[in-house]
Amino acid sequence: MKQVGRSVRPIGWQAITSGTFAYSSDLKPDGLLHGRALRSPHPHARIVSIDVSRAAAMPGVRAVVTGADFPAGVYYPNEGSQDREPIAREFVRFVGQEVAAVAAETVEQADAALAAIDVAYEILPAPFTIDDATAAGAPRMHQRPIKLANVARVYKRLWGDVAATRAAGPVNVTGTYWYPQQTHICMESNNTLARWDKDGTELHVWTGTSAPQLMVDELAEMLNIEKDAIICHEAGVGGSFGSKSRISEQEFLAAVLARAAKAPVLVSLTRREEFATTKTRHGFRSTLSLHADDQGRMHGVEGTIAVDNGAFVHSGYSVTAAGLKGLGTMYRFEGIDIDAQLIDTCKQPGGQFRGYGSTQTMYALECLIDDLAEKLNIDPIDLRRQNANQPFTTSPTGSQFQSVRLTECLDAVRDAIGWDAKKADRRPNRGVGVACGLHSSGSFGPDGSNRADSAIDIFIDGRVLVRFGGADTGTGQKTILAQIVAEELGLAAEEVEVLTIESDRTPFDLGAWSSRGTYYSGNAARRAGRAAADRLRTLAARHLGNGAIHLEAGKAVCDGRSIAIGELVAGAPETKEGVLTTEISFVEDAVHRVDAKFYGNASGTYSFAAHAAEIEVDPRTGKLRVLDYVAAHDVGTAINPRLVEGQIVGGAVMGMGSALGEEMIHEQGRLVTASFINYAMPRAADLPEVRTVIVEGGDPKGPHGAKGVGELCITPPAPAIANALYDALGIRIADLPLTPDKIMNALAARDGRVRRHHLWRRPSQWWTAFVRWCYPRGLFALLHRYGPVAKRAAAAASPALIDAPRVVDAVAALASGATAIGGGTDLLPRMEDRIAAPTSLVSTLDVTDMGGIEFAADGSVSVGAAVTLAELAAALKGRCAVIEEAIASIANAQVRTMATVAGNLLQEKRCWFYRNDFDCYKRSGPARPCYAVLGDHRFYHAAIDGHRCQAVTPSDLATAFAAVDAEVDIAGRDSARTIPITDLYSGPGEARLQASETVVRIRLPASAMQRRGTFQKLNLWEGDFAVVSVAMTAFAGPDRALADPRLVFGALAPVPWRARRTEQWLARRPGATAQELQSVLGEELNVAAHPLSKNGWKLDAAEGLAQHAIEILAGSSEERSKSPAA
Amino acid sequence: MTLRIRVNAQEHDVGAPALTSLLDVLRDHLNLTGAKKACGRGECGACTVLIGGRPVLSCLTLAGRVRDEVLTVEGLGPEWAALREAFAEHGGFQCGYCTSGQIMRAVALLRDGLPADRDEARQKIRYEMSGNVCRCTGYNGIVDAVLAAAP
Repeated sequence: MKQVGRSVRPIGWQAITSGTFAYSSDLKPDGLLHGRALRSPHPHARIVSIDVSRAAAMPGVRAVVTGADFPAGVYYPNEGSQDREPIAREFVRFVGQEVAAVAAETVEQADAALAAIDVAYEILPAPFTIDDATAAGAPRMHQRPIKLANVARVYKRLWGDVAATRAAGPVNVTGTYWYPQQTHICMESNNTLARWDKDGTELHVWTGTSAPQLMVDELAEMLNIEKDAIICHEAGVGGSFGSKSRISEQEFLAAVLARAAKAPVLVSLTRREEFATTKTRHGFRSTLSLHADDQGRMHGVEGTIAVDNGAFVHSGYSVTAAGLKGLGTMYRFEGIDIDAQLIDTCKQPGGQFRGYGSTQTMYALECLIDDLAEKLNIDPIDLRRQNANQPFTTSPTGSQFQSVRLTECLDAVRDAIGWDAKKADRRPNRGVGVACGLHSSGSFGPDGSNRADSAIDIFIDGRVLVRFGGADTGTGQKTILAQIVAEELGLAAEEVEVLTIESDRTPFDLGAWSSRGTYYSGNAARRAGRAAADRLRTLAARHLGNGAIHLEAGKAVCDGRSIAIGELVAGAPETKEGVLTTEISFVEDAVHRVDAKFYGNASGTYSFAAHAAEIEVDPRTGKLRVLDYVAAHDVGTAINPRLVEGQIVGGAVMGMGSALGEEMIHEQGRLVTASFINYAMPRAADLPEVRTVIVEGGDPKGPHGAKGVGELCITPPAPAIANALYDALGIRIADLPLTPDKIMNALAARDGRVRRHHLWRRPSQWWTAFVRWCYPRGLFALLHRYGPVAKRAAAAASPALIDAPRVVDAVAALASGATAIGGGTDLLPRMEDRIAAPTSLVSTLDVTDMGGIEFAADGSVSVGAAVTLAELAAALKGRCAVIEEAIASIANAQVRTMATVAGNLLQEKRCWFYRNDFDCYKRSGPARPCYAVLGDHRFYHAAIDGHRCQAVTPSDLATAFAAVDAEVDIAGRDSARTIPITDLYSGPGEARLQASETVVRIRLPASAMQRRGTFQKLNLWEGDFAVVSVAMTAFAGPDRALADPRLVFGALAPVPWRARRTEQWLARRPGATAQELQSVLGEELNVAAHPLSKNGWKLDAAEGLAQHAIEILAGSSEERSKSPAA
Repeated sequence: MTLRIRVNAQEHDVGAPALTSLLDVLRDHLNLTGAKKACGRGECGACTVLIGGRPVLSCLTLAGRVRDEVLTVEGLGPEWAALREAFAEHGGFQCGYCTSGQIMRAVALLRDGLPADRDEARQKIRYEMSGNVCRCTGYNGIVDAVLAAAP
């Protein structure tokens, strides 16, 4: 059976699906210590002094290292930049940079020791953005050879005939496009286990890496030891996407801590560290002009590009270069003229990320091509087809193409998405868009990267082992190598074993990056397999004669006679210790380094893709939904179609993530989007099935005709969706991601809508307005720089867990200082963040009076505080839509199973500054600033009634409960009271409860079950907290009247906000239309609101949600609530 | 404190501080490392296990409050072999780090049942499994796998 072309199951699937596949952090050697890093709290500072003496003496601490432990001149080998020492010695240049590291017996001991390290900093001014860093007088971050401050490298790229390009292309379109920093967020955070053997002369490492040998080289260089002294061992690698293709910081830290402690050390980054301190995709600002003639022949492109490097060069030189080269490689251009700068900023540095620069530049180019298509009145697919590269040609940049099927890819998506029909039959708010991408199959980068070796061991029992020096990070690398070798040896792929990573047992290979795995390692494995097969046939000829011998099912077969492979191995003279080994080296001679004019062919072959998206925008809320998505790829032969599809779909979804929500938002250099909750990456329900088309055909150079696939797929999604958005609404948003705020603002601008809040007529707002006015004029800087930070409570050593059978017991525990815990889904993360530091916890789950849901004879319902959200939803199914829908929108099934009703109501504010370690006013004391005023407040902050704190009450249930007049029973040591839900809150996520008080039950009046209602929510991903929500209920009156309506908004004000004037209007106005409602509500919002500078759009979205709600209530809308559970 | 906990049909007595998470008990005390600490804050689903048949985040579950039996991916019986195979067959994982959590979420979902209509079933799988982040697959393969394993 053919092995190549089969969708073989991934090697190791049994272990992976049974939970026994071990990653580095699953290993638990005896005497294991835990390493943790002390990180700079400042974006730019000089280290005046570090004192580790207290930390070193703490219990369990076995090693402490600082920059002083390493000689001057040791740097991360980052493309020769020599700008980042392994641990900061004198200067820190981003929040999160390593300043010291500790190994201790437990993580808690290590963290305690970090807190005991005294560091004195002299704070320095810090540029955070490209514009800050290049402004006149900007503080210089590095001493670099370039005179311009904060410019790490200057690029001038002239390819082809630029003057002729301008002359030949009189039609041009120009634009500036921003592709933000994106983070990989592998599901396995960076983990490394290190141990020194042989008296500290041999280092053993288990680590998440995609390029073990490159990592070993770099680590050896930094430790100044021989490469052979480091042995990297095989362990699972939980994703890479580029991030693990060079040395990572924890690899160095684990090695030096293990050396100092003389014990094995595991350094495992927390998820927050993973977000906030690892390297990102570089942000690119690309200003390009595309030249064409009036027949649609594109002649070339020119422009300027600024790349946000972050604090240090980690592949920034080559990422920028690759991005520039990509511009000249996709289409048949004649001339390219680009000036670029790589610019230092005081943020976590950029690094290697799937797509490697061309993802960013192609976003700009592919949007401009659509602009050109419109200008020339040519169909965007036709325009691309007309200019697509052709096979066996050479680009002006020197790339020598082999197979090229870009035209076929474009045809495939045209057909699959139904392009022509959709272009002809326009539907409101819908659009289709297309974009292309290309990628090398392994660029010639570091020395040796045009080579891969492969070794095959055949044992006397017939077993076959392929030894591979790279790693499988989830791409299926092991599986395709097994398939390729099995094909040659006449075996089933399942019979071939593959060893990876083990650096002293595997041959030379620089690993998985630049989409080189299939091309280089596959070519090497194929050659090794063929050589091994030839050898077996030669050996077999002695037994079987000189007829045609073929290998089949573990035997050599000739004319009906056969001999087992193992027997051949046993009889071979070169067999050693029962193993016949074949090892070969594959070197790609057709690639070379670029010349002085940056011209050259870096890759053996190139892959192409076209993607098409159909999208729909809700113009009332700005929510963009992808309805259909097709990705057609020219990746040569698919060695394993299922794995190829997996790469395409995974890459496309990651690309759609950056199109729709993912961005690294920093404030004062500190990451704001530092958690899964705050970093809007797609969940399963956010996107449709990605449909793939593998355009058939081989490639003359790839193994079995295969080309690289891993990176290409991430490039087209953003421009395809941006182009679809333009097609739908005629708005061009140049800055990714395409979030609802930008869409609403663009629609408002298009339609000439402006909100007026008449602050001058509202004295109650004057003080707030004045303070906000002062913020950018020095007040914020003053509070941020000098506001004293209240010391955070140390976590109690081991808080007790108190059982309370009755309310009176719980209240007694609260009175003595305990904290109530329901499901724990909010409290436990707050404890980890040291926002809460309880000394003891009292569990509400077993309190009898706080459980159960009681339906009274009068129709009212009493809900226990400790009832879970899932239980409440089940009990109210079909009885109270507004609550049911609200619960369905909260978080996810697991959280709904665990979280309690009272826990949801009483959860703390979710402000992403407050929650992500900003020393804000609420967190750290009255003289601290609110970071939301000038920071990114587009989504989760108040547009009404914001005062000193701009946060909102995050509970969706509170909003829904307010719309059914729910009441809350509260019990305390000396009190028992019942209050309306709206009186529960004194501020954002802040309840009016005395120390000993807790919520015991929630009372839903009988009317709650009689009202018709709906809950509508705008958020960034499925399960996200509300950006805006509305709960609307009413009794059905005669003549389509909405009697006694409630209209309550969540996430719009610090507490659930009732639009009372609009409610009154609604009550008087049977059959009110959505449009009338918007108008009345708009006036009420204008009078009530005092939005921050960038969240006024939420008022538009609130009106939009209310329009949806009234249509649902009136039953006049065909639309359904989006979640199937609703 | 010593807590008694029943995991995968076996009773265990574990000595651990009162607020130890179920995830830490599983990984550090019982050497069941299938459930992963990918965030430790209840935001990603990689630590999903079943308690009394219901899917929960073991990282935010205090082991001392667990009353019912815990089922982890290591404890799945042969009746779930088809689901595990479906994950392998349909591209339901790549790096595998989130897979234990995905599978345990899927087990609970399949027990609850899916709509007969394929499109509705797909939609329901996507909604119900949105608490389980996967960064590799783009979710197609996971949805296909769960659907394929449905009776």
